[in-house]
Amino acid sequence: MSAPKSTAGGAVQLWEYQPKPHDPVSTKTLGFWLYMLSDALIFAGLFAAYGVLDQPMNAAGGPTAMQVVHPVAAFWQTLAVLTSVLAYSLATVALKAGSRAGVALGILAAMALGLVFLGLELNDFVTLFAMGATPERSGFLSVFFVLIASHGLHMAFGLLWMLVMLVQIMRFGFTTEVVTRLLSLRLFWQFQASVWVCVYVFVYLKGIVP
Amino acid sequence: MTDAHHHAATDPLAHPEVQQASAAAYISAYVLTVGLLGVGLFMTERHLVTPHSLIPVIAAFAIFLLVAQSLLFLGLDVSHSNIWKTVSLMLTVPLFILSIGLTVWMFHSLDHLVMSPEMPGMSLQPGTLQ
Repeated sequence: MSAPKSTAGGAVQLWEYQPKPHDPVSTKTLGFWLYMLSDALIFAGLFAAYGVLDQPMNAAGGPTAMQVVHPVAAFWQTLAVLTSVLAYSLATVALKAGSRAGVALGILAAMALGLVFLGLELNDFVTLFAMGATPERSGFLSVFFVLIASHGLHMAFGLLWMLVMLVQIMRFGFTTEVVTRLLSLRLFWQFQASVWVCVYVFVYLKGIVP
Repeated sequence: MTDAHHHAATDPLAHPEVQQASAAAYISAYVLTVGLLGVGLFMTERHLVTPHSLIPVIAAFAIFLLVAQSLLFLGLDVSHSNIWKTVSLMLTVPLFILSIGLTVWMFHSLDHLVMSPEMPGMSLQPGTLQ
């Protein structure tokens, strides 16, 4: 639309003669994208704090990363979160085809896997608390739990959003508003996969490097 | 105004951001991420690389996966519907580098310069920290 266009007469059209139609889908997804970038900066702050506090001295004599992270067990969480993101992404492929059943199925699968992820994470927290590794034990454990739980909270709110979207799809169908929200949720859910890559590599894998 | 644009304005499913969904791209992103994190886990668990060079290797994996996910999951490109997402991300990347990189570098330098054990009275005694 931006490039000069040739008309049938061969003359080049340099400007639009009609006002461009308002595109609410693009406007709202761009707005949501800018929110995602600011959310990413919150995680940047948390990773910066983690990078600073991930030191034996900040463990204050308590457990260090080496003792609290279990990358092999956390790989199940990796599989759960990524398969959930894939399921939601495939739901938007069904959206392209206008399949209400396909979208609902994809969202239900994404929710089930998201719940598996949260269950594994809570189970991990309970185990750590039982061995005395609580957030108030040391500066390192404070930032460890805040970082992991921030991602977990994003997952929980994403699941709530999915539940709301399931209801909206059934009640309203694929209206402009519902489709826009489904697209924003796709950005939100895929962003959780990117955050998890950073969490898994810089907390879980780096944690067991001597 | 062309017919395609008029159509996109009325039918939300015809919007380019709906139409960009691609099963092949999503499955590729999934396989790449799970595969590379699995390789990272294997290298870390089996100590295939020395600890000193392992961190840069797994960090490179993470950066590669973030770029791959941006392209394959988020579908970022310079098309009419996605250009401003790409531009805003490019403008935010320096903020990530500054906020994480500078903070970690500054505190590690500080730790190295101020907290070194050979300085009198600064030796780390775990007992005093509890």
